[in-house]
Formats: sequence, C-alpha cells, structure tokens
Amino acid sequence: MDRREILNLELIALNIRRNILRLIRAGEAGHAGGALSSAEILTALYYNLMKVDPGNPGWTLRDRFVLSAGHKCLVLYATLAEKGFFDKSVLDTYGALDSRIPGHPNMHKLPGVETNTGALGHGLSIAGGMALGLRLDRSPAKVYVLMGDGELAEGSNWEAASAAAMHRLENLIVFVDRNKLQISGPTTEVMNYEPLDQRWRSFGWGVRIIDGHDFEAIIGRVNEAPFEKGKPSVIIADTVKSKGLSFAEGRVDYHYWKAKPEELKQAELDLDNIEKQLTAKTENIGQ
Amino acid sequence: MINELKDPRKTFGEAVIEAAGSNPDLVVLSADSSSGSGLGDFPKKFPERHFEFGIMEQGVIGFASGLATTGKIPVFAAIAPFVTARPYEMFRNDLGYMKQNVKVVGRCAGLTYDQLGFTHHSLDDVAIIRTIPGVTILSPGDPVTIKKAVYAMIEHAGPCYMKIGSPKMPVLYEDNVNFRLGKAIVISEGRDVALIGTGTVLSKAVAAAKLLEEAGVSVRLIDMHTIKPLDRDVILSASREIGKIVTVEENFIAGCMGSAIAELCSQESPAKIKMIGIGDFYSGNGPYEELLGKYGLQPEQIKETVIKFLGNK
Repeated sequence: MDRREILNLELIALNIRRNILRLIRAGEAGHAGGALSSAEILTALYYNLMKVDPGNPGWTLRDRFVLSAGHKCLVLYATLAEKGFFDKSVLDTYGALDSRIPGHPNMHKLPGVETNTGALGHGLSIAGGMALGLRLDRSPAKVYVLMGDGELAEGSNWEAASAAAMHRLENLIVFVDRNKLQISGPTTEVMNYEPLDQRWRSFGWGVRIIDGHDFEAIIGRVNEAPFEKGKPSVIIADTVKSKGLSFAEGRVDYHYWKAKPEELKQAELDLDNIEKQLTAKTENIGQ
Repeated sequence: MINELKDPRKTFGEAVIEAAGSNPDLVVLSADSSSGSGLGDFPKKFPERHFEFGIMEQGVIGFASGLATTGKIPVFAAIAPFVTARPYEMFRNDLGYMKQNVKVVGRCAGLTYDQLGFTHHSLDDVAIIRTIPGVTILSPGDPVTIKKAVYAMIEHAGPCYMKIGSPKMPVLYEDNVNFRLGKAIVISEGRDVALIGTGTVLSKAVAAAKLLEEAGVSVRLIDMHTIKPLDRDVILSASREIGKIVTVEENFIAGCMGSAIAELCSQESPAKIKMIGIGDFYSGNGPYEELLGKYGLQPEQIKETVIKFLGNK
C-alpha cells in the first residue's frame, strides 16, 4: 500500500476516535477502551475492505460486519456515522431516552447495524449463519466479525468456532481485538486463553497474528484470506486498550470510562496532537 | 381417520418435508436431532438445505438467526428443554429481539421422555418462551393440527416456537378443520364449564369432556393450539358467558397456558379458574401414562377435578 493511502486511513481513524469522544461527551460515559483499541480495524473494514453502500444499507451483495463484542458499539456508531450511514448529530443522543444508539447496538434502530449484540458469545454463531446463508445463495459477500479477547471465555464461541470450521466457511473472517484487558484485570489472569493462536488452529481455523493498529497488516492479511483452503480465518489483532488517549492507554479502569471534564479536555489535546503528527507526515509525503 | 393413532414426530417431519418442496428458502438445522425429530428423510431429499451441527443447541440458534438474515427460513427441531431452557438467551436475543424468521420446535415435550426424568422433561418451555416479546407459541393437539401448524408457522413471518410430544396420539379432527394461527378451536359449545386443553393432553381433555357430558355437565371444549398470541375473544367469551374455566396442560402450572389465561381474565373479565398441570415440584420418572395419572391428567381425573370445582361454586 502506498503511504498516502495509509495516511488517509490514519486520518479517518482519527476522525472515528473524535466521534467516539463525541459519544462519550453526550453520554458522559461508555465502553471506551475496547472501542478505541479497535478503531483501525473498523476503519480498514469500512474504508478499504468491505463492500457496503451507506445509501443502500440492505444491499443484498454487501459484506456483513458483526460486532460480537457489542459493548464496543461506540466504534461502530462512530464509523457508520463517519461513513455516512446516518447523520452525525445522532451521535449526540448517546445516553438519551430511546436513543437510536443504545449502549449495545440494535439493528432495528439504525441503518448499517447487522445484528443485536451485547450479551457476549453470540456474534460468532450469528455470523456463521450469515456466512452459510450467503454461500447457499452463491453470494460473493464476506462476513467479518469483531470479538473481544475477554469474550472468548464464553463457551458458546467455541461451539460456533467448531461449526464454522466443520461447515468450511471460507467467507468468514474474524478479528479478535486482543487488548489483553477486561473489567477485572489482565485477561490472562481473569481466564487464561493463551496460546490463543494454537487454540483457534486446533478448532480448525486459519490463523494470523498482527499489530491491530497497523493498516498495512490489517488489510494485507484480510486480502490473503482464507489463509487455508476450506477454513474460516481468524486474525488475532494485538492492540492497546484506549489507544490514543495518553492517560488511559493500557489501563483497565478505562474499560468503561466515566469521563471527568478534565479528562475530556486532555483527550481532545491528545487527538489534536495525533492530528498534528499526521499533518506533518502528509506534508513530508507532499515534498 | 378420527381416533387413528399417529406418531407426532413423523407427522411433523412429513409436513416440513412437504413444505420444503414448495418453499426453497426453508432450511433445516440439526443438533444431532433431525432423525429423532422425524426429519431423517430431509437430508436425503434436500441435502443442500440440511445442516448438521452436533450437540450444540446454543450455537444452532445463533446460526439459525444468521441464516434468517439472508432470507432463509430455518427450522430447528430437537428435544424440547434443549431448544428452550438451555439456549434461552440465544432465543431471547438472537431470535426474539432480532425478530428473526426462525422456527424452533421442541419435540418429545412435556413428560413424554417419561422414564428419562426431569432433565429431559419440558414443563417450563412455554413459560420461559412466553416472556419473549413477539414469539408465537404453537401447541397443536393432534396429528391433523400438527401438520396445519407447521404450514401456518412457515407462512408466518417471525420467530415461532412449536411444542410437540412423542407418543402416538389420536386424530381428533377431520382434515378440513379450520386451523388459524392465534384462533382457538371451539370443539363443542356448552354452558356449565369451559374446558381448555392444549397440545399433548388435548386428547385427555376431549375424553374428559365426553365423560362430563355423560355425567350431565355441559362443557364448552376449547383447543388452545396457539398459546401466544392468545385467542382473547374465545377466552373472554367463555369468562363472560360461563365464568368457570378449567385448563388442562402438560406444563408447569407456573407461567404456562393456564397462567396466561388467568392473566387475561383477571384483568379483563374475572372468572373462576382451575388449572390442571404440574405443580411446584420436579416431575418424577416412569411410564408416560402413569406419570400423567400421577399429575391428574387422565380423563377420569380431569372429570373428577371439574366436578369438584363446579361443586365449590
């Protein structure tokens, strides 16, 4: 990929992080950590990899995105709004009575949302059913899933993982946002899932491990999927929880962020700094 | 033929296969459960539309939900507690909340897995699934209405739960019986008591009604083959015109058909109600007909209960 293209995606990811901040400001709180850690993954999906049409969200040939870790909905809302599925003013209703953007997504309330998730361990089997149905229709569409690493303790995921492998769902591509933290602490201490790559491999999946903030890696690996013939693919994306916020990166207490005014101010400054760096990089390319 | 005994699972399977012939979107999901659900021939007839998952009911409900998003009409039949109590949250979120057009069928329901004991009995399925908004619950009581319920369920857009038993059951209706989803069948008019039966023990209620008529009690006999949505008109008419209702079901009394009827009547037209079903205890094990007898679900017992109930006016 050329540098300009990557820089462009980095700028979009920044806008998505700004949208997340806007949501947090409206709701005064939210699951920020995992939303911020997966901003590059969603940016890559919606701005490079997936075939979607914001003007026709029900387009039958579209690729599907299932947010299994429904609590990361802020990044989904932020991305869909950025992409034009709905007006950005909707972001300001986060937390309001009967808002179209609840704390876990609802497909009946908002265009572009494919599933109702929130209870962990549901998304992979729903996505598997989509992949099965699309294959039955001989559709070229792919199904992408974003899972949390803490979520993997739910046994239902492993039912779905077995079934997706058994049914040879080559059109299914899963991201595990391995930010290594959950509410009670480091994921490996709460319920150890490592070695995660071996676990998925033993369930019959093709596996890759990447830096989940590196666009070249995200896009490069997805374009290589399926990694093995006849197998579904999983990309374990190593990420930093609350990525982009200096005071919150890698800290478990920002899994659910009850934002103080001074923190919001600092967050703005942090994102402004990222913007400055990206602008400098853009100018370098221009010279 | 009236009173001919037929296997409900076989009847169900035949109806699904017939429906699949004219509906290319119908797909069947199996949790190692298709052959036991009367669907053994489905994979032979429609191999592309049959998906085996092994024993993972939670996973199957999720896959069914996903398939439904692509316009398929998934039918998933397995042992009743394993498609209701076990994957309840998947049913609630992935089918109910997502409003998916999926048909879940709990077979060998009620006490019909008699000697296998409480883990395999399904007495709470109606109670728990009834709490999920927008889910239609069917409980047909004879082979003719099982077939009609299958067609109606597939035609209906939205999540459905259908409950059937496993022992052979008598044909109660002619083939041309008017079966409409959400509309109870009033089998006979009457003025002394409304006897409302459903599903696996509808035939017991029918036999009890005959005994009551012979004893001089005039019975309005009602087949509540759809438990949700309830047929409000039939129930409220019975409440207003007769005021005495006895419900008969192979379910827990807590939360099931009788409960639903009582909820409606208590708010809109109070009636005196007696519910026959399984009380607040774990069901026992043993031969099916003897178990029904243990819980007062045999015709003679139902008759006695009704007479006693009418005596306490």
